[in-house]
Amino acid sequence: MVVVAVVALQLALVARGYLSDHKEFAFQMFPESSTWRADVVRVTADGRRVPIERPWSGYRWDELVQSRGLRYPWVRHHADAGLDNQLAFLDAALDWVADNTPRDAETRYLEARVTSWHNDDSPRVGVLRSHFREGVG
Amino acid sequence: MNAAAVGAPPRTRALIAAFDDLLGRAVSMRALALLRVLAGPAVLLHLQPFLSDAWDGRIYSDAFYEPYAAWYPELPDAVYVGVLSLGAVAAVAMSLGLLTRLATVTTFGVVAYNIFLSTTHFHNNRAYLLIVLGLLAVAPCGRELSLDAWVRRRRGRPALDTSAPAWPLWLLRFECAAIYGASGLSKLLDPDWFGGTVTWQRVVRERDALEAWPLPDWAVSLLTDRGFHTGAAKFIVLTELFIALGLWWRGTRYAAVWVAVVFHLAIETSAAVQVFSYLGIAVLAIWAVPSTRDRVLRIDPGRRRWATLVCGLDWLARFRVEPAPPGSPLEVVDRDGTTIRGAPAVAFVMSRLPLTAWFALPTLLLPAVRRARRGGGPAPAASVAANSAAGGS
Repeated sequence: MVVVAVVALQLALVARGYLSDHKEFAFQMFPESSTWRADVVRVTADGRRVPIERPWSGYRWDELVQSRGLRYPWVRHHADAGLDNQLAFLDAALDWVADNTPRDAETRYLEARVTSWHNDDSPRVGVLRSHFREGVG
Repeated sequence: MNAAAVGAPPRTRALIAAFDDLLGRAVSMRALALLRVLAGPAVLLHLQPFLSDAWDGRIYSDAFYEPYAAWYPELPDAVYVGVLSLGAVAAVAMSLGLLTRLATVTTFGVVAYNIFLSTTHFHNNRAYLLIVLGLLAVAPCGRELSLDAWVRRRRGRPALDTSAPAWPLWLLRFECAAIYGASGLSKLLDPDWFGGTVTWQRVVRERDALEAWPLPDWAVSLLTDRGFHTGAAKFIVLTELFIALGLWWRGTRYAAVWVAVVFHLAIETSAAVQVFSYLGIAVLAIWAVPSTRDRVLRIDPGRRRWATLVCGLDWLARFRVEPAPPGSPLEVVDRDGTTIRGAPAVAFVMSRLPLTAWFALPTLLLPAVRRARRGGGPAPAASVAANSAAGGS
């Protein structure tokens, strides 16, 4: 029973990899040559859009977000594990930064304007936003 | 018989019984013991960046991370670093075979805990490491190639049985093949991959790095030519699928192992894949027939170096070494009783030792070696009988 269960689970996870962003245990190696870049800004309570390249309230983006190719989002990068995976991480990173910058009293939310190139397709532009930060504005 | 089989049609019952027999049959755990030894360094390599950051005062929660579940327990910083350190110590103990089961379970637990802390910790190579550790943790693979076994011998206690039900070995074989299969299938189904777009773009973007290599201009031109990738991508996909399927059949297994080693080395030189190459090659050991000392190697006692070399490198315990009459050539009696002598025997022996197998396997295709393996005279009856008793297949 254990063997059958593990085999079935593994096959299910491989199948799930075609639908999910993170593809755990799906073993889709080097899936795409896609690239991406993003202009990430902080949108403040008074409507200003401040690029995260500039430090704010003692925070730096490249110190807050260090992994999964997200450290310098303004530079065009290869999406190592595919675009869906990369943009899911970027989306989560925006939320994490919004939640973990308590000294920042002016940012309402973070927004990323993402340009992505799926393999050799034409570029696509999309927008990702963090959730609204409570107690600001 | 499996409870699920009760009430099933007779043919299904027979099939389930055969499956049960296959999984429950006691086989040698030698390959898993060797893999256990080799897995320790993979765990240390895997934990190294986490520990290195921890010693510099940083842990995962100091920067962006994304928990899989809100309920997943997160430890205080100092305890987390302690757990990682425990994992490293356990990995060393696992490799040495010291309190093997406890060490292996602990290593698995620490690696699993750490990986599932955050989606950002997950990579394919770590998933493979986790699978390997999980199956080593449930298999009794500490009864040989271990300090536990050595201590037992020193105390004069009888050695524990080194064979056990085969199911962990079969599961790991399935996982090993599934990884190549899943990877190959995903590329086969993606027109951009199978058509060569993905590899072509990857190489073109790395052209500067490619030109820094000591490659002639024509090679750089070839590697950045789109037409080349139209064929190369198909070759890569079919290679992965060949490894996934070829490992299962005896006739193609050695070729699949040989190709898999080349495949991993090629990946290692062209991409950063953490422990994947090392682990991928180490796991190939599990495809050895799970029986030990069922081939006889006869060596002239005057050629002691040979005997020492073979015994030192025979990590999978393929050979039982016996003295041959002085002046006689090296002689191998294979599982089926075929006897090979001289240079073909040397090639055969080297092809069955993990460290030399990759170099020696192609020599088995040489006509002289093939002739010797086909036409070698039968072994003396006593050797054949001993072979059968050892459970050779």
